[in-house]
Amino acid sequence: MEQIIKMENVSKEFKILKRREGIKGSIRDLFSRDYQILKAVNDVTVDIMPGEMVGYLGPNGAGKSTTIKMMTGVLEPTKGQIFVNGRVPYENRTRNAQDIGVVFGQRSQLWWALPVIESFRILKEIYQISDREFNDNLEYYDALVGASELYHKPVRQMSLGQRTLCDILAAFLHNPGIVFMDEPTIGLDVSMKSKIRELVGALNKEKGTTIILTTHDMGDVDALCRRIIIIDKGRMIYDNDIEHLRGFFGAYRTIRIQFDRHAQKLDDEVLKHQADEVEEWLRIKFPHAQSIAVSTEEQWIQILINEDEIHMMEAVNCIQEHRQIADMNLQEISTESVIRKIYEGGIV
Amino acid sequence: MRNRSKRGISLKGYMAVLKGSIMQGLSFRASTYLRIAGNLVYLVIIYFLWKAIFASSPTDTVNGMTFYDTMIYLVLAAAMFNFMDTFVVWWIGDDYQTGEIVLYLTKPIDYQPYLFCARFGNCVISFFVTFMPTFIIVYFVTRGSILLGINMLFFVVSILLATAVNFCVDFFVGTICFYTQSVWGVNIMKEVVVSLLSGATIPLAFFPAGLRRVVDVLPFQAIYHIPLHVLTDKTMNIVDYMSSIGIQLLWIAVMLGISRLFWKVSVKGLTVNGG
Repeated sequence: MEQIIKMENVSKEFKILKRREGIKGSIRDLFSRDYQILKAVNDVTVDIMPGEMVGYLGPNGAGKSTTIKMMTGVLEPTKGQIFVNGRVPYENRTRNAQDIGVVFGQRSQLWWALPVIESFRILKEIYQISDREFNDNLEYYDALVGASELYHKPVRQMSLGQRTLCDILAAFLHNPGIVFMDEPTIGLDVSMKSKIRELVGALNKEKGTTIILTTHDMGDVDALCRRIIIIDKGRMIYDNDIEHLRGFFGAYRTIRIQFDRHAQKLDDEVLKHQADEVEEWLRIKFPHAQSIAVSTEEQWIQILINEDEIHMMEAVNCIQEHRQIADMNLQEISTESVIRKIYEGGIV
Repeated sequence: MRNRSKRGISLKGYMAVLKGSIMQGLSFRASTYLRIAGNLVYLVIIYFLWKAIFASSPTDTVNGMTFYDTMIYLVLAAAMFNFMDTFVVWWIGDDYQTGEIVLYLTKPIDYQPYLFCARFGNCVISFFVTFMPTFIIVYFVTRGSILLGINMLFFVVSILLATAVNFCVDFFVGTICFYTQSVWGVNIMKEVVVSLLSGATIPLAFFPAGLRRVVDVLPFQAIYHIPLHVLTDKTMNIVDYMSSIGIQLLWIAVMLGISRLFWKVSVKGLTVNGG
């Protein structure tokens, strides 16, 4: 099978004006020709096959968006070659646009004041979608996520989750071969996140659409992607099956708790003592768990557990039995910590 | 692959966008009412200003225009401003600054006609909601001083062409925002220049001869001066009407060419150097 996206040694450099400090510096900047070169993407080679769902990860400023913009034809690579559907995207931007869909989590392509169905109708004419194709898709969306309830609601009255859902549906309306998604689940609550993940998974599977998913949320890739590409400081540092990574973040969760409302006043010694106590309680309750690790960070007690061994709620209940928890939160495993693990070795 | 046009969207696509923009415009009723109210305040101000100017003059006509002529001209200029100003500079600047421009660049559309259709809906609504009522009021207040004849036909054509010239000027100025990183200053400058040099705030008949010669070779007079001249000047014959329309068409061709070229170069810069 032919690759649907082919990137060969692609680099992208930006010329950026060096900014000076203070008012004097700002005035001098007006006349400055002092540029520095920023390598946003550095020698990236990737092949993506039709129907693949690829998680594209990296910390902020790693070059993710730049790569996506090159694939969509918005940016021209400084070096290297890109082919999307066998075409060079920036040379055939309009033609390329006919076969791709784009979702940006923080932006909407929908008409703000109109019911969403009107945006869909406008897209129907823009992409020259046939009546049959259009109606089939609307019915399919309804069966998939009950979208017909939303069709007549003005976009500005929608919740962020509903709007994101509609933006995703809009991107698939013309049955594109590839859809690029840039942080589609950003800012959504847990139930909406899982609904969006189900939707994207179904669209990929049933329509065979190739999906490139950019995200910070390991949960997204964990639920959806079989293949993961990680980029950091413009360089590709990982391109492989998700299974290789899973051991490092799979079932691990970090629970952060505080016992006192005014925890700022606690000194480190007291906190350390509390953490030791917590560890002891958990060890007694769950003697077989290997993974428990308790540490302190600023005013929080952090408990790392493996959910294959202990359920999160069991651990919380166990602590509650001994002492009232005043505040608690759950930390997702961040892309950054996965990247740190990669650098520390052992994964690639 | 499906068999679809290779050159982006069809006319039908742009019509759908235009329809959407009319529907969107209709959903903002409050803003329409506010514009009418703002327009009325402006009209009261220019009424007293020009009344004072004519009162200080020894004759009934100043620079060949009577008080009524001047009022008709300025009132209708204000009404035209209301329906032609579609904030295109703001839209382009905003699309650029927020990065939303990416959403348009990843669609099989040509941004310029797309934006025209997406904003023209507002013109259509304002034409009926503010321009038509103002026109009717002016007609009766000035006791039928406006000639109702063949000039009306040319006026309608001329006003449509004026909208197109105005859009091209706005589009050009909006693209400047790619380089200035600021929309506000650029837009203010444009509004001052256009409203003065187009004859929207002071009729061109009042301009000194030297300035008038400069204005005549600029596109701005094609936006307000020409359509209002066509409407109010009772001495024009069919050849004058045709040549006025011809001048507007010429300016559309020139401004369309310049603005498209500027846009193309700027987007090219964007693809090389990022946003």
